[in-house]
Amino acid sequence: METVFSQIAWLIPLFPLIAFIILIAIGKQGNKWSSYISIGFTLLSFILAFLVLIERLNGTMDAYTWNEFDWLSFGDISIKLGFEINNLNAMMLIVVTLVSLLVNLYSKAYMKDDARITVFFSYISLFTFSMLGLVISVNLLELYIFWELVGVCSFLLIGFWYEKESAKAAAKKAFIVTRIGDVGLFIAILLLFWYMPNHSLDFTDIHNAFSTNSIPIEAWVVTLIAILIFVGAMGKSGQFPLHTWLPDAMEGPTPISALIHAATMVAAGVYLVARTYDIFLASSIAMEVVAYVGGFTAIFAATIAIAQNDFKRILAYSTVSQLGYMMLALGIGAYTAGIFHLFTHAFFKALLFLGAGSVIHALHKQDIREMGGIWKSMKVTSWTFVIGALALSGIPPFSGFWSKEAILTEAYIDNKFLFIIGITAAFFTAFYMTRLFKLAFMGDSRAGNAPKESPFVMTLPLIVLCVLAIIAGFVFTPWTSWLGEWLTGDVVEEHTNWIVMIISIIVALAGIVLGWIMFGEQSKSSQSHNTRNWAYKLLENRYYIDELYHWIIVKPLRGLGLLLNAIDRFIVDGIVKLTANIMLGTGRVGTSVQNGQVQTYGLVTLIGFIIIIAAMLGRRYF
Amino acid sequence: MLENFKDFLLNGENLLFIFFSMLVIIGAVFLINLQKVVHMVIALATTFISLAGLYVLLEAEFLAFVQVLIYAGAMTILMIFGIMMTKHDRQNEEPKRPLHNGLLLLGSIGFFFIIYLAIQEAAFPIQEFTSVEENTELIGIDLFTWHVIPFELVSVLLTVAFIGAIIVAKREED
Amino acid sequence: MISSYLTLAAVLFVIGLYGALSKKNAVIVLLCIELMLNAVNLNLIAFAKFGINPSLKGQIFSLFNITIAAAEAAVGIAILIALYRNKATANVTEMNSLKK
Repeated sequence: METVFSQIAWLIPLFPLIAFIILIAIGKQGNKWSSYISIGFTLLSFILAFLVLIERLNGTMDAYTWNEFDWLSFGDISIKLGFEINNLNAMMLIVVTLVSLLVNLYSKAYMKDDARITVFFSYISLFTFSMLGLVISVNLLELYIFWELVGVCSFLLIGFWYEKESAKAAAKKAFIVTRIGDVGLFIAILLLFWYMPNHSLDFTDIHNAFSTNSIPIEAWVVTLIAILIFVGAMGKSGQFPLHTWLPDAMEGPTPISALIHAATMVAAGVYLVARTYDIFLASSIAMEVVAYVGGFTAIFAATIAIAQNDFKRILAYSTVSQLGYMMLALGIGAYTAGIFHLFTHAFFKALLFLGAGSVIHALHKQDIREMGGIWKSMKVTSWTFVIGALALSGIPPFSGFWSKEAILTEAYIDNKFLFIIGITAAFFTAFYMTRLFKLAFMGDSRAGNAPKESPFVMTLPLIVLCVLAIIAGFVFTPWTSWLGEWLTGDVVEEHTNWIVMIISIIVALAGIVLGWIMFGEQSKSSQSHNTRNWAYKLLENRYYIDELYHWIIVKPLRGLGLLLNAIDRFIVDGIVKLTANIMLGTGRVGTSVQNGQVQTYGLVTLIGFIIIIAAMLGRRYF
Repeated sequence: MLENFKDFLLNGENLLFIFFSMLVIIGAVFLINLQKVVHMVIALATTFISLAGLYVLLEAEFLAFVQVLIYAGAMTILMIFGIMMTKHDRQNEEPKRPLHNGLLLLGSIGFFFIIYLAIQEAAFPIQEFTSVEENTELIGIDLFTWHVIPFELVSVLLTVAFIGAIIVAKREED
Repeated sequence: MISSYLTLAAVLFVIGLYGALSKKNAVIVLLCIELMLNAVNLNLIAFAKFGINPSLKGQIFSLFNITIAAAEAAVGIAILIALYRNKATANVTEMNSLKK
């Protein structure tokens, strides 16, 4: 089949860019209709992405690559820009455009009273552009550019309500913490540039070089590059040591949390690892690092989520936990399972966030202890949320079950320890989702104001995502494994593992039942959490990780900063000021000589004359 | 050394030179150090007249005459007029300028030292101008033949200066 | 003999210079300038008698010199009077319009 649409796939990111330019140009006058521009262009992108996907589904395995544009040339090396469409990209494109489109639609109602709605939509368009650009980048450097761009958009959107101090601080934190990861990625890119044949950074070349093991790189360098890339992914995807920014990022508007901090941008780290997977495959140490960091993050974040009270923060920790799952999958070599989980997670987590947004929009509260009783008045939101929660918890036949089950099966075969971690995390996931649901939706209303169902533009994305959350899992069940073949090109044998399937269902159900019993009574009264033991406190304070960072990293750095500041102020500035003062003093002496008095001029002339004569005489004698 | 000095003193011309030069220097020093302006002018007149004496010693009788006439006479009177037409109350003493004056003293001494060195270093031939009886006549002849154009120019200059001085000094509203 | 005259002229010149640069009364400054001119005249006349080429030229030159000095003094006094009328002072230190 012809690759018609793949050839014009570069238009996909271009549409949101056009929207961004238009929106940023019209400014405030467009508050009434700016959403239509953004929605319209994103719709165009989505349609094109859909056509590309259909083409890929029918087409060959070959990737379509175009990199003719010379961006930088120095010597005989030239860095090119271009785009690449392969099956993984096509899938990512459809996920990003679809979620972006739905979020755009949703934001139209959610943000309609905001004075800066045009700016909001322009940021979303810019983000969509950057994310799509990231997905279809042809080489690592191009990816890095878009990688930073999505970081900027994330920063802008977290700090969108910059009047709030906490939003400002969260935006700053997100920017700085992800930057730590970005430095790792950047070093990795430099190393690759140094070691690759012809200094090529193209993914195709990387794939060829590392899969055939044809380049003369020592093993430790490969490990170093892989781990540095993973550090970059850690920053973006909120993996364990760098996860602290993601829960704070919930200060941004809720649609943003759904789009950027649940479905797309945070998955960019996973995508990056998947894209450069051949490097990881070349280093078993790096794979293990990825697997264990992912596994630890999964269980670590899941336990924190149990004790949180902020609606969105619970979901944020859930996101961190699920991203850990994906990393775990990639780390144990379950490439398809990891990407599959990314795919399904994008839908059901976006659904959960949008549902949360719908609740927050109705109640104007975020603390789940002050909610309750929503079930009766907000049917659509509640039902879709339940389905999303069940998908996340891993209950069949919803999508989350299939992807999680795929990961757990691989883990069961590959590494029993990680399997236990994964299954425990799954238990906690089911548990905290039940707690969230019971406290927020069931029981009597504690909010004080009667919640109303959100308008249709907001519930429509919920319904669409809900449908996807139900059916998305069927593309890769134990009995239909064509997704794996489509993504990797290899034939994957059917991997029905009844033990794992049954265990995971039992664990998920156990979590739900336990949660239902534990919080069933408590949800009736808001005074339920007076009995706090140390474990609860530890979890509630997120293992004191933020405090730890504050004392171990922030304080010494601040001290160092103060010291450097003092050096700068007193020593460097001192020298500068001294120089300036010498000049100033010379000038002052000069001015005082220029006092308009003839006698002083005469005196200066006389002294000058004597000096000249003395110099001439002196020359004679020496 | 002493013998030389004695010879030097016994020569009448030298004695007169010493006498006049003493008067010149004393007059100049007094000019600078006296407080009242009128006294200063008198000291200046002393200097000028002593200089005229020195000119006579140098066999420039006409110039000595001119010196007395112009400097000791006209110029001194002019200065007295200048003093009279401006106010000079010495009471409000001017602020001292120690740095200025110190540097000036140093510079002046240095300047003198340089000239003195130059004079001592230079070798002058012992060659005297033959004594001429009719100094005035010779000057007149020279002036009106050889230097007639500069002479006329100087007369023009004097006229210009004269008119200019009147214009500058007269009241604007007149 | 000539070096005695020259030294005397130098002394006279330096005293005039010192006075011209240190005195605050403008009239005295003018007088000191006359003193310096006289020192020059003395040099010229001494050279006319004892110089390498002794001749009357030196005397004639100093004659012109005296004339110019007279003109200078007249104009100087005129300027001084005009200035005094405008600024009501004959103090050199207050005549600092050069600064502006």
